[in-house]
Amino acid sequence: MDLFTGAVGTGQVHDFNPGIRESGLFWTQPVSEDALEVDLQDGTATLGLDDLDVEDYHTLLNALKDGPSDSASVSFEMRWKAIAAPMNVTDSVHRFSGRFQLSTVQIEWSAKAPNFEFVSDAASSTVNVKSVIGRERNGIFFGQD
Amino acid sequence: MTLNHGHVGHIHFWDVAMTRRKFLGSAALAGGAAVTAGVWLPQLAIADFDTIATVLPRPIPGGVTPFGIFIHHFPPVPSIPPGPINEPSEITDFNGLVGVCRVTGAGTGTDLTTRATTRLSYQVDNGFMSGLYVGEDGANHHGTFAFV
Repeated sequence: MDLFTGAVGTGQVHDFNPGIRESGLFWTQPVSEDALEVDLQDGTATLGLDDLDVEDYHTLLNALKDGPSDSASVSFEMRWKAIAAPMNVTDSVHRFSGRFQLSTVQIEWSAKAPNFEFVSDAASSTVNVKSVIGRERNGIFFGQD
Repeated sequence: MTLNHGHVGHIHFWDVAMTRRKFLGSAALAGGAAVTAGVWLPQLAIADFDTIATVLPRPIPGGVTPFGIFIHHFPPVPSIPPGPINEPSEITDFNGLVGVCRVTGAGTGTDLTTRATTRLSYQVDNGFMSGLYVGEDGANHHGTFAFV
């Protein structure tokens, strides 16, 4: 979750993420199953987390290099809503398959870091770039029906 | 600033209570659970089932190389052929529900020392994975994960 003083991509000042695991698992955190609500028939999903422990690496490059960081936390509520018909995708190069729907996402979020806090504008102001929800199989489950 | 010398991932997050879901109506919870159950029931019998996953999953083998640094991750955009979407999961050996997004927007930052406020823009690439996965221990597990 990145913050910029200018337009997105310009003047990054905060980069909040939970870090890269020793295995290479990227910015992924186990959460309570209660944090997530999914209804694929309705084409909706909601992910809500409060005070998730993260690090503030300040820039993407510093985050990827696991450079100096500050302890921080983020809270967010984000909602996916499908905007297109389901599509079946099989990608044998990257070995995943599934049934997906392009969607929009609206998010309202906040962050706390030493001597700093951030509060996003209302969820309705979110600009969706690309979002997807669906069901997939990969790795050893790829190709199983 | 904290220097993370010899840092090997944020294992310390593992040991703390990490999330608190805001109140969800019971009807909504029941609906979500019904969809999930329909997908997973055949394989739940052979998988551990925890409220919060206790065994880490393994990363997808592929990824991209920003700044010359390989990461086990595909960003939502741009799409990398041959598919219309990039692999949305961060987890390999996974069978489950996924969501990913890239969104942008704006908000207000506050310096807590001076109380000065600044308008900031944001980009958020977040997502979720919930379902059956093979953990680092080689066993089947069931868990929910946030990509943040």
